[in-house]
Amino acid sequence: MTCVLLLDMFFTAGDLARLRRCLTDTARLAGLAEPRRGEFVLAVHEVTGNAVQHGGGRGRARLWYADGALRCRVTDDGPGFTDAAIPAALPAPDFGEDGRGLWLARELSDRLDITGGAGGAIVTLEFYLAVTRRDTPGLASAAAPGAPARR
Amino acid sequence: MQADAHTLAVDQMRLGDHAFAHYADDNVRWQVPAVFTQRGLGRGEKVIIMGDPAVSADEAYQRLTAFAGPAEQARARGQLVFSSMRALIHPDSTFTARRQMSRLREETARARWEGYAGLRTFIDMAWVPDLGMDVDAVMRREKTAGGLFTSRRYAEICSYDRRNFSPGVVEDMRVSHPVALLERPGQLEAWHSAGEVHLIGDGDLLTRPQFHDAVQAALAARAGGWVLADLSRLCFMSAGCAGDLLRLIAQADGYDRVVVRCSGLHASTLRHLGAAKVGRLVLDELAEDR
Repeated sequence: MTCVLLLDMFFTAGDLARLRRCLTDTARLAGLAEPRRGEFVLAVHEVTGNAVQHGGGRGRARLWYADGALRCRVTDDGPGFTDAAIPAALPAPDFGEDGRGLWLARELSDRLDITGGAGGAIVTLEFYLAVTRRDTPGLASAAAPGAPARR
Repeated sequence: MQADAHTLAVDQMRLGDHAFAHYADDNVRWQVPAVFTQRGLGRGEKVIIMGDPAVSADEAYQRLTAFAGPAEQARARGQLVFSSMRALIHPDSTFTARRQMSRLREETARARWEGYAGLRTFIDMAWVPDLGMDVDAVMRREKTAGGLFTSRRYAEICSYDRRNFSPGVVEDMRVSHPVALLERPGQLEAWHSAGEVHLIGDGDLLTRPQFHDAVQAALAARAGGWVLADLSRLCFMSAGCAGDLLRLIAQADGYDRVVVRCSGLHASTLRHLGAAKVGRLVLDELAEDR
């Protein structure tokens, strides 16, 4: 299994714009083309925004190149949550305030897993790259994060 | 400063743009050039930073990369260069607009020859007192520099410290540049005109209340007919902002149609979130993002 750490960043609300720019550039360098790159950044933003709002105000985002995909793992120190927190169907536009962010993140991702518990939430998103990169020049290697747990 | 028709976020700057930037805080001052640099390097452009002469190249590099991430390789290969106005016009010791623009044309040609898509320069206007320049001469240069940008191989930010230039000079400079940048990356500003609201910058967790209020104000006029929500200068739109937009439009009984002009990504986000169920919404999708 090829697994390379591309980005590791702690964040609070004030860091979200900077994190989005870093994600955009890193995803571009990794070969994720538009429009999927924009969708990837939006999906990760929704998960990090959820960590800021409901997970203790801060979190950590790590991004790997992993076997032909970009894998982003967002962790926080909040009370944790499960799939049940994500609405099964989208509420009508004129009804309801929240729940859209994680719903959209799941819609846009090729894969989204939620694990964790009382120690905080772990949300892992994957976006497949159209072409598998066989090398990642200039990128720092890191310990493999391990495959995310399946729902 | 009030947003208007030529306000833009630095993220959307491209070759051919001549932009005004401003700051009055030593932490904020590096954020615009950091994003400008990050975007330029990412697009295969050469970047020259002409920072405050009182700040060393190494300190400037540290301040930029603290916000935008490391760029050692770009600096080592000459794609990212730290220079100064004094070095640019050398061996001349006195600034003239003619000399400066001639040198910038040379640097643009050199960047192209080196294989880059073009050149972008960030100029902190702290060089003006450093070279003992007359502000009026600088203002004349800013207003007559259009020829540098017509080939769309060159972009420039002129950044003014509001603590060192009078409000009148700063405002004159803002108005005379074709592009006026938001003070900070991640910021959101709205500009209202008759039957239109233009949203500029990022709509996210922090700016969602402003986003909501700007759209609500535009729809509150209940003028009948149609209204335009222009998102073409919106760099980012979160699901929360998109949901607010759809909800407000769904409730805008005073209008027959609400036109949302936006990028393909924003249009896709709105469709995902149920745009088709909002009868009065018309998506005007731009063929190409800025």
